[in-house]
Amino acid sequence: MMDQFQAKFIEEANDLIATLEKTLLSLEQNTGDKSLVEKVFRVMHTLKGNSSMFGFEKMGAVTHHLETIYDFIREGKRPVTKELLSITFTSLDHFKVLLTDPHLTNATAALAHEQVMEQIHRLINQADTAQLSQNELTEQKTENDNSAKAVQNTYHIIFQPHADILINGTNPLYLLDELSNLGEAKVTAHLKDIPTLDSFAIAKCYIYWEIYLTTQLDINAIKDVFIFVEDECEIKIEELATNSLSINNTLPNYTTAKPSANNKINAGEQVVTSSKKKGEDEPTSAVAKEQLVSSIRVASEKLDDLMNLVSELVTTQARLSLFSEQNSIPELVSIAENIEKISRQLRDNTFSICLVPLETILLRFQRLVRDLSAELHKDIILVTEGAETELDKSIIESLADPLLHILRNSIDHGIEPAEVRIKNGKPAQGKILLKAFYSGTNVHIQISDDGGGINLQKIRSKAIAKGLITADAHLSEAETIDLLFLPGFSTADQITDVSGRGVGMDVVKRKITELRGEVFLQSKVNIGTTITIKLPLTLSIIDGLLVKIENTHFVVPLALVDKCYEAEHTQLVDKFNNLITLDGEKVPFFYLRKEFNMSLTNHTIEQIVVIKYEEKRVGLVIDAVIGEYQAVLKPLGKLYKNQDHISGATILGDGTIALVMDINKMINQFLKSETVNILSYE
Amino acid sequence: MNNEQVTIAQSYLSFKLGEEVFAASVAKVIEILEVPKITKVPKSPLYMRGVLNLRGSVLPVIDTRLKFGMTATTDTVNTCIMVLNIQMDTETFILGALVDTVQEVFEISDDEIKPAPSIGSKYKSEFIEGMVKTDEQFIMLLHLDKVFSSDELVTVKESLALPTIA
Repeated sequence: MMDQFQAKFIEEANDLIATLEKTLLSLEQNTGDKSLVEKVFRVMHTLKGNSSMFGFEKMGAVTHHLETIYDFIREGKRPVTKELLSITFTSLDHFKVLLTDPHLTNATAALAHEQVMEQIHRLINQADTAQLSQNELTEQKTENDNSAKAVQNTYHIIFQPHADILINGTNPLYLLDELSNLGEAKVTAHLKDIPTLDSFAIAKCYIYWEIYLTTQLDINAIKDVFIFVEDECEIKIEELATNSLSINNTLPNYTTAKPSANNKINAGEQVVTSSKKKGEDEPTSAVAKEQLVSSIRVASEKLDDLMNLVSELVTTQARLSLFSEQNSIPELVSIAENIEKISRQLRDNTFSICLVPLETILLRFQRLVRDLSAELHKDIILVTEGAETELDKSIIESLADPLLHILRNSIDHGIEPAEVRIKNGKPAQGKILLKAFYSGTNVHIQISDDGGGINLQKIRSKAIAKGLITADAHLSEAETIDLLFLPGFSTADQITDVSGRGVGMDVVKRKITELRGEVFLQSKVNIGTTITIKLPLTLSIIDGLLVKIENTHFVVPLALVDKCYEAEHTQLVDKFNNLITLDGEKVPFFYLRKEFNMSLTNHTIEQIVVIKYEEKRVGLVIDAVIGEYQAVLKPLGKLYKNQDHISGATILGDGTIALVMDINKMINQFLKSETVNILSYE
Repeated sequence: MNNEQVTIAQSYLSFKLGEEVFAASVAKVIEILEVPKITKVPKSPLYMRGVLNLRGSVLPVIDTRLKFGMTATTDTVNTCIMVLNIQMDTETFILGALVDTVQEVFEISDDEIKPAPSIGSKYKSEFIEGMVKTDEQFIMLLHLDKVFSSDELVTVKESLALPTIA
């Protein structure tokens, strides 16, 4: 049971770390923003509380110290420095390690832990000395709050958890441990409520504790320990004395002396009830509650399941509609129509649930740009526009790597060093703009830098040197740029560990093509480079044109369809050059029955669907055009992985399967097997 | 192979291809279907019969006769599809195997299983877990993972290109 909660904690902690990272990045841009410091402090505090509660003590320790520093900043006793931010970033990276290996079994991780702790300690000490020089008074105060304090208070705490506290995964013993860390504590457990064995419920807590604690900290520090369980227990904290009572010896007497009502005893008495603490007292829980209302976490497998079920529903609904059409029972028709309406709405809703804003991966890039530009001693800023643009979550996941590649290229090769930039009359700070926007059923993502641009001549000579083109080859600008997408091509003069190994743009292109997307590159020397990625909104549904060849249904992606024509059979078969004149223009065509090795027909009239293939019009001869169809794409599976013509299958209303054509790959294949390259005809 | 025999229940499902009887461990068989409309995928190997709609998911179907180098026949009322769970490396996937007729589930103990003959068989011995003799008839226990995992399909395809004596 504990494990389950730990998994939950890790998930939450990752979220918190991401939030921290984001906030810190903005803080870095705007060091004076108090609200950001406040947020860092709050999130750090939550992280601290959670990590010590779930047994991640090392993480708790680091967060504790960081929280202290940010507390100082919050109170205006310290400025936000670059050093502090970089230590915080390092700590965040360290937290990620700690989450997978909380007890640091790995030696290097343990060493890293030491280093992080040491850096933080140094920073805290700096904080103290800084204040010393700043202000005598503050110094005095800090000393009271913080270090070597003479004043010790003794508190009497009764901690009475509700019986079902264990159900939420809280281990009261951790809280007691935490209390003991505050100072010298004497803990007595009261066992009188434990029932006899026959009525004993294993998941219930029957014990309450009485604690005498001598500490330098004030009552709020003690309350903080119970901050996360205040709803689940009764806590009574009394201040017994403003000096240290030698707990072990005098306390028993003190307890008996209590009824004699020493005026000090009741002075700090306070019963903390759940209703009392709300709002400003506890910003972290308030934030958590707000989030609870606006969104919930769902495992992505559950979404996939939902998506599959909706696809099945859509398919079944198509069947119902078909059936109601065939059997004209008025009531059935109206039911079928209703179901059609509802399932369409349900489908649209489900698709929108599976859409994720691009923002979710942008954070990673902000961090990358920051770290990498620092490493290369370049001053680069990443500006994002349209981060709220949404894409299918599976696309977003596969998009991260290609985008990283592109950004690395821009930082490493695109943006010049500051001196060069100034000499060329540009601002010293390089700028990368990442812009996302919708265009029809596609999403465009543009990454442009204001760097040196790509020297076409350089590409050309490189390509000749690598033997990719001959020295006298004539290439257009676009064709030259296309060379960049060939495997093993890199124009970088030297290989850095960032990029330049020549595995870049070809990987980008391949990954994007896998997502049914396209990549374009434009570049002007000394002005910059712009890479545009065009992606479909979702991977799982496409608008298609349903056609039939022999007994098989096929779906042609509608986006590629140009026009449909009829033609006489004799115009199409046994032609030497496979060209047909349509609308006064000669169009090359493929007779699909022949290409698919099916028997030829003797229809006198044939149907041609003209599609766009690499800016050219190509005809596909099929038996019949049936109509538009929304195809829910399903993979053909492992056994067909070598099948290039078909990108997937979809289920039709009558339960049969239609195959979705992968037009680009299909025509490429046809061209390879064709002895005469018909597309070379101009 | 021994490990598997220990962990898998010793129940087998027997089926026929032509006159020969084979058996598959029931742990591998998910269900048995009648032959619905199967959509042929163009330009795929001959033994790939096509894909069918199994309650909303796409199931590839292999014509087991062709895969084993037998001649093709037309489907009869007895022809059916065994939906199998095939493990390949670390992945599992589901496929349909078209067989002439499915017979029965029977139980056998380990000591009744005899090793496959290494010569005189037109089936590669690595595809066969063992042989069982019942009522004067030999049943070949198939190693389904090996028979149907993709790599093996290639070798079978290659052997199909050779003239077969079947």
